[in-house]
Amino acid sequence: MLRWALAKILQTAAVLLIVSVASFSLLKLAPGDPVELMLGDDYSKESHQSLMVQLGLDRPMPEQYVDWLARFVRGDWGTSFVSRTPIFQYAFVEALPVTLTLSAAALGLALLIGVPLGVLSAVRKDTTWDAAAAAFSLTGSAFPSFYLGILLIWIFGVAFGLFPTMGFVAPWDDFWGGIYHLVLPAITLSTPFMALIVRITRANLVEVLEQPYIAAARARGEPAWRITWVHGMRNVLMPLATIVGLQLGALLHGAVLTETVFSLPGVGRMITDAVLNREYMVVQAGVMMTGCLVIFTNLAVDLSYPVLDPRLRPR
Amino acid sequence: MAINHKQILANSLAARFGRRRLLQGAGAAVAAAGLPTVASAAEGGHIKLAWIDFVDTLDPHFTSYLGAIKIHNNIYNGLLKVEYDGEKVSFVPDLAESWTLLDDKTHLFKLRKGVKFHDGEVCDAEAVKWSVERVWRGTPKSPHAWKYDYLESVEVIDPLTVKLNFKKPYAFLPVALTGSTGRAGTIVPRKAIEKYGKDFGRNPVGTGPFKFVSWKENDSIVLEKNPDYFEPGLPKLDRATFLIMKEASSAVAAMLAGRVDGMSNSPLQFINQLKANQSLVVHGEIEGNYSLMAMNCRRAPFDDVNVRRAVGFAIDREALIKQAFFGIGIQAYTPISPPMTGFFDKNIAKSGRGQFFDLEKAKAFRAKAKTQGAIEAVILTSEQGQYGTRVAQTIVPMLDKIGIKAKLELVERAAWISRRNAGDFHMLDMTWSADLDPDETIFPEWHTGNAWNFSGWSNTDFDKLVEQAQVVLDVKTRRDLYVKAEDILMDEAPMAILTHMPEFKILSKKVKGFKYTPADSLDLHTVSF
Repeated sequence: MLRWALAKILQTAAVLLIVSVASFSLLKLAPGDPVELMLGDDYSKESHQSLMVQLGLDRPMPEQYVDWLARFVRGDWGTSFVSRTPIFQYAFVEALPVTLTLSAAALGLALLIGVPLGVLSAVRKDTTWDAAAAAFSLTGSAFPSFYLGILLIWIFGVAFGLFPTMGFVAPWDDFWGGIYHLVLPAITLSTPFMALIVRITRANLVEVLEQPYIAAARARGEPAWRITWVHGMRNVLMPLATIVGLQLGALLHGAVLTETVFSLPGVGRMITDAVLNREYMVVQAGVMMTGCLVIFTNLAVDLSYPVLDPRLRPR
Repeated sequence: MAINHKQILANSLAARFGRRRLLQGAGAAVAAAGLPTVASAAEGGHIKLAWIDFVDTLDPHFTSYLGAIKIHNNIYNGLLKVEYDGEKVSFVPDLAESWTLLDDKTHLFKLRKGVKFHDGEVCDAEAVKWSVERVWRGTPKSPHAWKYDYLESVEVIDPLTVKLNFKKPYAFLPVALTGSTGRAGTIVPRKAIEKYGKDFGRNPVGTGPFKFVSWKENDSIVLEKNPDYFEPGLPKLDRATFLIMKEASSAVAAMLAGRVDGMSNSPLQFINQLKANQSLVVHGEIEGNYSLMAMNCRRAPFDDVNVRRAVGFAIDREALIKQAFFGIGIQAYTPISPPMTGFFDKNIAKSGRGQFFDLEKAKAFRAKAKTQGAIEAVILTSEQGQYGTRVAQTIVPMLDKIGIKAKLELVERAAWISRRNAGDFHMLDMTWSADLDPDETIFPEWHTGNAWNFSGWSNTDFDKLVEQAQVVLDVKTRRDLYVKAEDILMDEAPMAILTHMPEFKILSKKVKGFKYTPADSLDLHTVSF
């Protein structure tokens, strides 16, 4: 078991290294000369040279990479030339918690509503309930999040004035204020995801409920809720965990649009702004952060399989 | 001797704004501002403004963005400021107590006593001298340095008196000192700038009614009341938050939902909806600006003056205003805008001057072009301002009628700016805005070799005329010079001129005491709830 986990962690480390090479190369592959862009109007041959030396761009590539990685691990991510603040502060301390909070809220909401809805439509297969859930999940996954976001703003923010339409309040500073501000963005971000969870839950549960051991449990006279939620759902957890892990990347890219529509100062907006301003060092930091996030979530999902399914425990 | 140059200058500049009126509802705000004694215990408070404009830096000498300058005006003061009484614009002393012209080239400013910067540094004649010199010939070079091209020296007479000596009479000075596109007369503290260096733009220190608190990336800029502000009783607000919002439709939603108290601007497609809302006041009228399609005179095909002339007459401005500007705005014939009364010709539409839509004329010029047959050209465009890429899109089929196959190249803004500055384009669409004087609307944009002459156009007769107009104080003589200069400019057509547009500012009716000035500013000095 331990050896298996260790192998998984080593695999992850290898993927991390590949991601780091990719984000490092961003600065090299980018069109134009980033140093020239950083200097802007202060451009001169001397300032160009001195910034090259300062950034270490005059040294051989492998050396630059090792140096960059070492500084990255230590939290020295350089200084943004637009905001003139340390990138670590901006990206990791300010922007990341916003995106994580938003994604966690969206994920929570998707599971909280998606799973029961999926269960409902599996248990009441081929009824009106099932058709309604299918309609919801199709509509939900077809709605682009920028459109849904603006629609929600107009309905719940403007017409009814129920929820704030913008801005981020940290739930750890003001819990209810934070939740209140998160309602619309979380719904926007979670809807396509929720729809997917409904479909996965339904498909898997329908299959499980036809298994002989379910019939046996029924024959034993076990209560319906126990059959569905204990015997049935236990077997749905695995595909569900896999989907959550795989879809995290989609959730993060949905966050870009959601953050723009709701004016949330998160990682998505940070990266899009940085791309537009040609702030390659910020883009690098953003790619590394989101890359690590996706990889670590997948590792967590991998490591959870043996816990969720005894058949997968390595002997 | 007997000529009062300052009076002539002030009158001439003021006259241009004589007949301007505020749009719907704005009158109420002005009336409220005129009754300061009615002010109640409800004063103070925290204003929240949705900021959809781009803010690059809070260093007033280094910006070219109006979105930034609208905030600067609340942090800094200048030697002079723009005042507007609902009828006409005047230029009055701000940090100065008095402004005197000793002769037509020498301006004497007596400063207010006891004014301090937010960090405690004294704002005296030395500070003024240092600030003026920072713009005039500092390193790095300020983009507004050209405004002091005629300056000879800055003299400190005593701690509260400073003298600006010019080489020639300089009609543009009041606007140079106050104009909202980068106020060259804004006074900044030396110590703070030496302390922060390049980071000053993120840590601004001024003498203004509000002190800088924070700038959180992609989130907000916060200012708080400066209790030591020199104008007694001002500011009235305790705090001002500028919420940086990228998505204009979200800002409009927040405005309609009452979540914010105002908006810095609004895309044209939302204006009618905002105007229809009873709880809002939309300020805005045609200001000193023009939109244009620039043509690169250094490159084929637009190095050929007849091709450029053909483009100038091929664009149907009426259709363009309908399709790209949602019917908001008026046709421009020349760069001088309607607010520049005394210079703007009200009968210009009938005068035959300038550029306008005349397909026959366009085809005639096209027939004279060196290259016959189809010409290919690329319009460099970027998702920008109030009209996005609509101007470029609308113009493409119009050019097709004169045998120019135009293609759109949509790039992101940073690339657009750097290619524009490098002259790496055939055509590009843009606007010049917030101009108060014909000089700033023509000179830096079209005089040979100037920083903003992106078309690379050069004409010595034009240069001579606009140089001359800078050193003449008499309005009539100046106007005649500008008419001649404009005629050359529009005939040679380094651009196709398109429209003059209103600039909008939206405030909630709860907001009292806002003084509108037609210079695209949003000053919060007198604002309260």
